[in-house]
Amino acid sequence: MFVEQFLNGISLGMIYALIAIGFTLIFGVLNLINFAHGEIYMIGAFVAFTFVTIGGLSLPVAFLLSIIVAGFMGVLMERVAFRPLRKSFPEATLLATLGLSIVMKEAATLIWGPETHTISNNAQTMFKLGSVNVSLSQVSIFVVALLFMIGLHLFLTKTYWGMAIRALAQNREAASLMGVNVNLIISVTFAIGSAMGGAAGVLTGSYYGAFYPSMGFLPGLKAFVAMVLGGLTSIPGAVVGGLFLGLSESMASSYLPSGWKDAIAFILLLLVLLIFPQGITKRKEA
Amino acid sequence: MKQGIGKAVIFLLALVLLVGVVGCSGDNPKETEDKYLIGLSAPLTGDYAQYGDSFKKAVELKLEEVKAAGGINGKNLELLAMDSKADPKEAANIAQKFADNSQVIAEIGEFTSTAALAAAPIYERNGLVQLSPTSSHPDFATQGKYMFRNIATQEVEGPFLADYAVNTLGKKRVAIIYIQNDWGIVAKDNFAKGVEEHGGEVVAEEKYLPTDGKDFSSILTKIKNTNPDILFLGTMYTDAALISQQRVKAGLNVDIIGTGSLYSDKLLELGGEAVEGLYLASSFFPEDSAPQVKNFVDAYKAKYDEVPNMFAAQAYDAAGLIVEAIKAAGDNPSRQSVRDALLNIQDYPGVTGKTTFDENGDVVKDMVNLVIKDGLYRVFE
Repeated sequence: MFVEQFLNGISLGMIYALIAIGFTLIFGVLNLINFAHGEIYMIGAFVAFTFVTIGGLSLPVAFLLSIIVAGFMGVLMERVAFRPLRKSFPEATLLATLGLSIVMKEAATLIWGPETHTISNNAQTMFKLGSVNVSLSQVSIFVVALLFMIGLHLFLTKTYWGMAIRALAQNREAASLMGVNVNLIISVTFAIGSAMGGAAGVLTGSYYGAFYPSMGFLPGLKAFVAMVLGGLTSIPGAVVGGLFLGLSESMASSYLPSGWKDAIAFILLLLVLLIFPQGITKRKEA
Repeated sequence: MKQGIGKAVIFLLALVLLVGVVGCSGDNPKETEDKYLIGLSAPLTGDYAQYGDSFKKAVELKLEEVKAAGGINGKNLELLAMDSKADPKEAANIAQKFADNSQVIAEIGEFTSTAALAAAPIYERNGLVQLSPTSSHPDFATQGKYMFRNIATQEVEGPFLADYAVNTLGKKRVAIIYIQNDWGIVAKDNFAKGVEEHGGEVVAEEKYLPTDGKDFSSILTKIKNTNPDILFLGTMYTDAALISQQRVKAGLNVDIIGTGSLYSDKLLELGGEAVEGLYLASSFFPEDSAPQVKNFVDAYKAKYDEVPNMFAAQAYDAAGLIVEAIKAAGDNPSRQSVRDALLNIQDYPGVTGKTTFDENGDVVKDMVNLVIKDGLYRVFE
């Protein structure tokens, strides 16, 4: 059982990590929390669901398309809720993203209805590694999330835009004096962060076979915890935080009564804030 | 100048209030005295939407039949349906709305025990019958004089399912997953008690909160480790379909047994292959040979082009009972005389069996063993 729960935890943790990276990127550049990030995750999942059920596309194609849509949603969100308020006090943006998250959830309820949908022929393929059952969707979550993380790392360290994002995170004014187009780079950051959030949504939706309008709330909250665990601005920290959280949840539900599963994340959050206010990884700028 | 603005604001406010009051009184036209309203509080949207949909269709069918037969005391019965989303807060709001509407003579609902229990004090305080077609929590009917149900409680269904699992199917090691609300807890308790009485063993009991989301993989992996023969689900159809699918991924290859709450086409649609072979119990089966069942199934098929499920049958009988009670309550039925008449009904020949209420408003009903085979509900043989 330990190995299987470990795999369950890794899958869950990779999902949290993907969402937490989006949080972290945006926090790094703007020092703001985007509360509508969980809704991007939900919209990404529903877009893929629609492409598969109505468009008749295969899941991988729908996955790619919904990542693109989620990226655009992120850019749009930045234009609506962040840019007009950038010179205002930070709470204004927080409230704007909270409002946006409510609007997006209700809009999804109007479009797709409040009930749970499923993709009927979702990947239930199983295979055995020794005596351990592994499902294809668990493997795909792991591989896809890992590819995203490697891709993001290369993007941030090797490309001009990546360097510009890091420059912006260090010092926005200095970066803009060096000729970095601040608005453009912020848009790019939102596009990348949201695309990863959307990707996480599609992966979870098809893994659990469930698409519903409030699906973004809890993972969004958990990813926020993962981000705090990882020290707010560190991307490797967010990944470690996500994995740590996913593993603790699945281990908690196997060795404690299952009702404790969701409490674990928040107990961890409290402990970390009390004991390591800087996060479990050493704080450094993204 | 400043005072002038103040006056203008007060004037405007007064105007708004006046319009509001007039607007409200416009909502209660007086010319509708020629009909009785029956309230229906049920989840018409959300994860339980198909249950509410069955309720609404069945009650509408019954009321149409009454209309075709000339109404009661020369008056028609009309349905006032409201969507509770199976949310106890909404159910309580709806209860207050029905109570405040003097034309509502009785109410059918709520679907879930949790919502029915939340609404019960309001119906009781206002002396309005709440007849739930499906609330099987043992404590529901004892909430007051105006609470009725026409379904057997979990105290009956739990042991019945335990007998099905342990004796009929020969599965001794039982694992349980249940939703942590009023209904789920009593469903689990009564089933577990029955299993032990029949000589079986409960090897795992796992619960989840309605707000937990849809990830059952770690619960299922944990259960797999206890080597059960069968998995009991105290859940509604959406979660049951997801658990069935995720159990395949978790490599938990055991049969599933569940309560009558799983008797829904949505379960077949959401669950697909994964719910094949699922066992359940029901108070109604459309291929029953009794004449009233055949008439009901034919009429329902003709009107809606689908076969009625247990929830439609339960609601159809609930509506039938209310109609009987209004008829028996004389020329000028009131909320209270309808309640008294309901309690006096003897052996009402419904499609889910004969109904007689005991002094609490409870009933005893027979149940039948079902199984999902080739994507359809069938009687287990």
